[in-house]
Amino acid sequence: MPAAAKKVKSGSVKKTKVVPVKKTKAVPQKKTQPASTTKAEAKMPIKKPNFSKVVDCRPAGVAETGLVFTGYEVSDDGILINHKLHYDQLYTLRNGSNSKHFLGFLDGKIFGTRCPKCGDKFFPPRITCWDLTCKMEQTEWVELKPVGYVHTFTIAGWSGRSSLKRLPFVLAYGIIDGCKTAVANFLLGLDPWDAEFGMPIKVVFKPKAERLGAMVDWHFEPGDGWTPGPMTPEKERMKKMTLPVYEWVKTMKE
Amino acid sequence: MIAGATTPFDYGPTGFESIEEQAVMCLKEIQQDVPDFSLRDVDLMVYSHFSVHFGHQLCPEWIVHDHLGLVGVPQFRVENGGNTGGSALYAAWLAVKSGHHHIVPIMGWETMDSVSQSQGSEFIALASDIRYELMVGGIYPIFYAALALKWMKENNVTEEDCARIAVKNRNNAMENAKTQWYRNEHKYLTIDDVMNSRMIAYPIKKYDCCLMTRGMAAVIICDEEHAKNIAPDNYVVIDGIGLSSCTIRAGDRINIPGWTERYGEGYPDITEFAACRNAAEYAYKHAHIDNPRKQIHVAEIHDAFSTSEAQIYKALGFATRDNVAQFIRDGCAEIGGELPVNPGGGLLGYGHPVGATGLMSLTECFYQLTGMIGKKHLSKRGQIPNAEVGLINSHAGTGTSISNFILRRP
Repeated sequence: MPAAAKKVKSGSVKKTKVVPVKKTKAVPQKKTQPASTTKAEAKMPIKKPNFSKVVDCRPAGVAETGLVFTGYEVSDDGILINHKLHYDQLYTLRNGSNSKHFLGFLDGKIFGTRCPKCGDKFFPPRITCWDLTCKMEQTEWVELKPVGYVHTFTIAGWSGRSSLKRLPFVLAYGIIDGCKTAVANFLLGLDPWDAEFGMPIKVVFKPKAERLGAMVDWHFEPGDGWTPGPMTPEKERMKKMTLPVYEWVKTMKE
Repeated sequence: MIAGATTPFDYGPTGFESIEEQAVMCLKEIQQDVPDFSLRDVDLMVYSHFSVHFGHQLCPEWIVHDHLGLVGVPQFRVENGGNTGGSALYAAWLAVKSGHHHIVPIMGWETMDSVSQSQGSEFIALASDIRYELMVGGIYPIFYAALALKWMKENNVTEEDCARIAVKNRNNAMENAKTQWYRNEHKYLTIDDVMNSRMIAYPIKKYDCCLMTRGMAAVIICDEEHAKNIAPDNYVVIDGIGLSSCTIRAGDRINIPGWTERYGEGYPDITEFAACRNAAEYAYKHAHIDNPRKQIHVAEIHDAFSTSEAQIYKALGFATRDNVAQFIRDGCAEIGGELPVNPGGGLLGYGHPVGATGLMSLTECFYQLTGMIGKKHLSKRGQIPNAEVGLINSHAGTGTSISNFILRRP
């Protein structure tokens, strides 16, 4: 009996150990890379990328347990039952030909693309031109100046689960360095009600060690020399609606 | 179209949560309304369901289809964001019009109360470009607020104007016991209530936002010959269809060749729903409508936010930059007004179970054109007298996919 119980236990432990197992898997890959690549090359005509630099910043509690029934509830009259199902899974988002743009973030650079035929410039990048007359012309990478202006904005007082604690914040659609597109990101470094249409903004990166090669590596801040305009009735209203959000966020549990 | 029905729209425990029983509820109501309709005659089923995240079930339509006893009947599911219902109707219409299929029910649903509200918002926002928009705090109310703020300034539409739309739709919903507003909050709203509700994303407040919902809707589409046989005195003709598309990221449409070629430089900017305008142009041309404000008698449109209903008035050609604020202030869209919009309550009042929403709009419009409002609602108050031509609108993303349909009483 104890032996059987132990077996079940070790089985369940194995499941929760998926994370460390994966991690150790990634490390040997790194070590054996040259040998395995040559081996693979000898057999395989197709050369595939290998990813030996792995940065894993997953928060505590992300365990990759997959799908698990974690409980149930029964209505007081005993007629209905509801199941509780938990899902915990990491995804790999493969960026392919957009990678230069995300790799640029790691170096604190903003890369967009430009169509060599019509000259349209894009950030976020498009790997080919959007104009049908350019017939999917391959764009070229261009480093953009990290400055622009606000096209439109809002003050968020509510958001998705993973952004609740960042409230309230200004989400601005900014046009960077003369691109034909605007891109959404946080506008920080000002009182939310002071945001305005057309204001100059700059791209500000997180410290290098904190970057993930993703949009969260940077945000907008007011451009150098910008100062907020005088209070207006509309700004007073925005302020009045924004202040309670600070208080509400303080009451939020973990 | 010969029939339509919805379950009550609700959130949280109701006792009728399983999708099989919701499907049966809708179809039993349809069988009562149209006794000559039989599932035996169905030769194609189109399912309309948006996010498999909510039920954590891929192909949930297989559960419904098999449960109904429709084994052997061809089926497929359409998924196109908030425009899932409209897109499913588009597919069913094409199937019938091709002559290949004759009786094509559409069933749509969403079970959005299976996760928390903030998690639900995040699931829906997975339809934004997650590489760029979701991870910087964006969810749809926030995107829509940024779009609306600029639009409202450019069109002289105020927060109060939009609040008036929210009040209209919520109070309309108080006439129908199936609506989520009636079932849950159950109160008549004032403009002040909306103005004083908490900020979600300026200028959008809590009462400017639609509801997250569990619910299902079903409609029956067939060719006119079968309509005349099965429901000779109670069908409407889908007279015009239009479906169009725009960028996934709203920031990409401020100067995009597809639109500047058609409508000139600077359109749609980030503010206008170009796909709605374009889809309306297709549907109007198809249905020989050249003056929508005069020729359409009732519209059920996608008011995910009160602000977007105002934006849609303009995109549908009901009003222009010069008179859209006046259109709202004069009560043109209210019951008894020149062109009642969302007398059924819309997404703000009835609810927004994404895959069912377009079919709910379709069903309410069908009731209007067949004079069934008094039978289906608590009173006849919402019945638009002599309504012969209706419009329904189904809308996805930040205006990324939009369909419009013209319904006509034969």
